[in-house]
Amino acid sequence: MDIQRISNQDGHFACSKYGQQWAGPDGDRLTLALALLKQLSAETIALNSFADHLEYTPSVSIDEIIQLSTGWIIDEDASLQLHAHRKGFVVAITESKEEPRWPDFDTTEIPVETQNELNEQWNAEVSGVSQGAYVSQAQHVLASSSRLGLMAQVNQEKLVWPPRQLNSSGQRIDSPTVQLSETATILTWTRLSAAGAPSEFSGRAPVLDGVGTVLVAFDEGPKGVFMLADDENGVPEIDGTVRFEIRRLYGQDGVIHYGLKAILTKS
Amino acid sequence: MVDVAMVGAGQTKFGNHPLGLKGMWSEAIEQAISSVDHGIQTTDVDEAFIGSIAFGGSQLGNTAALLTEHSGMEGVSVRRVENACASSGFALRDAWMAIKSGQADVVIAGGIEKMNDLSTSRKRYWLGVSGDTEWERLAGLTFPGTYALTARRYFHEFDSNHDDLVHVSVKNHMHGFENEVAHLRKQVSFEKAQSGFMVADPLTLYDCCPTSDGASAVVLVADHLAHKFTDTPVWVKGSGAGSDHLALHDRPSITQLRATQAAAKRAYATAGISANDVDLAEVHDCFTIAEVLATEDLGFASRGEGGRFAREGEGRRNEGHVTINASGGLKSKGHPLGATGTGQAVEIFKQLRNQAEPARQVRDAELGLTHNVGGSGATCAVHIFGRDR
Repeated sequence: MDIQRISNQDGHFACSKYGQQWAGPDGDRLTLALALLKQLSAETIALNSFADHLEYTPSVSIDEIIQLSTGWIIDEDASLQLHAHRKGFVVAITESKEEPRWPDFDTTEIPVETQNELNEQWNAEVSGVSQGAYVSQAQHVLASSSRLGLMAQVNQEKLVWPPRQLNSSGQRIDSPTVQLSETATILTWTRLSAAGAPSEFSGRAPVLDGVGTVLVAFDEGPKGVFMLADDENGVPEIDGTVRFEIRRLYGQDGVIHYGLKAILTKS
Repeated sequence: MVDVAMVGAGQTKFGNHPLGLKGMWSEAIEQAISSVDHGIQTTDVDEAFIGSIAFGGSQLGNTAALLTEHSGMEGVSVRRVENACASSGFALRDAWMAIKSGQADVVIAGGIEKMNDLSTSRKRYWLGVSGDTEWERLAGLTFPGTYALTARRYFHEFDSNHDDLVHVSVKNHMHGFENEVAHLRKQVSFEKAQSGFMVADPLTLYDCCPTSDGASAVVLVADHLAHKFTDTPVWVKGSGAGSDHLALHDRPSITQLRATQAAAKRAYATAGISANDVDLAEVHDCFTIAEVLATEDLGFASRGEGGRFAREGEGRRNEGHVTINASGGLKSKGHPLGATGTGQAVEIFKQLRNQAEPARQVRDAELGLTHNVGGSGATCAVHIFGRDR
């Protein structure tokens, strides 16, 4: 996600492009941390009290989300510490376990009603019992390396993604071992209105003026469907390219499911 | 091998139906039974296959037993057939196979769905349960979305644009206008269909079929019994089915349905005919782009020519080589999911016996085809019907 980053003698700090009051329609302190970690060379890091400041519990462990999507390794003995602001949507990487001195960031005015509506929808999704399609938390964990890290299986010299069990010869395909490239080409796209959106997203769709979705092809062959993020000012084009970032996908049964969303890189 | 005859067919009106599940199914059975010219009893039925996605979850288990119990067929061997929107197309195929195999002589195939007594959120849920939940639906796609992706790609690959889909919509509303059992009996102008509100870009409201309640049923019998029940049976001359990857992104191409192509190839082969021989076809136009693809995949138009086929009105009743969706199709007649496939067979039964409303009767039709698709093309059943054995 587009972040504002400040690096000073205390460490690296980041908030969303909107400022520290809001992390965006599908962002939170975890996605901010992922964006900041991606900008730095991967090392080891301790989570410190970071998890205590997340609004909701992820369906996959924070360690796994960070490791799969950024390459950083979680180690509680690491010298670098990940922090999250208790109130604001700001994260930091420092060498101290003490709460850092938080810098001030620029703020973009976003209608409070929009923020509140989206926050209410996320809350309703997470706290409600699923009325929509259901993928169990265990299933999310099983496929997490593919969902969060774009890991593909190898079958007869071709890559397979998303993962499947047997090939057309009835032989079991091994677990994913190859990471797909982090960009892909748009084959087609749509924008679903509130009326056309899945029930999981029907609360947020009208606030966001619809849900953008792309079908893309990776250079290595596999294709996939992804929701668009940060596409307020862009219209997808066939043969255009996207990159991927971890965002909130949807909330269900007390947890937030995170996954990759597509970001337009060329229109 | 035994030949299979359709000797009765009936359905409820499609739309917002006042009756519940048991009432709708009973009405379809009543209609089917009463359409058998020389009479038939429900006790004559050996087997029954009922297609349904399970109408909003109100009776997920043992659906079929409940319905047969309430339609005078208690004790009959029955099961629910589920293949998303192709459920009753596959129920029809199962019924055909039961007779073909010699295990049954009189079989009911039908389908039912009750959608309009659900809350909006439940309806959305049930309309979406047949897609790839993990990698497609939860990436933001519903069926309007998958077909919108297909439409945009089709426009990119071929000489076609949204106006071609508008032609499909206008034609099917024109056909359905005279159909007494259609859900949306209204004609739509080209300009109005062009300017519907966007559901899933580039598909507008007028590209999408309605969500309907309905039930339908047909009576199939072995050849040696056909003339016991009627002097004018409609012969089920061919049946074929196919499947494909559930998710669009796993398919080699999203502008053709391999399940349809496989089903059509098998159905034509068993009937001993080709696409050129078909006089009328009820195709699965859940979205207008689906009809464009169907005309190609069934062999009525060449690859990439489906848009032109629609633009030039080749599927209009009694105008082109083949009439496409004389009933109004899913777009106008309606789409009660599990009831659609056998609903298509009911239409062919009427048309081939010259029993459709006079204003919409297809002239001199000898061979009819039904094409019933599950979801975005993961499953498909195609049947060929003829006036002659």
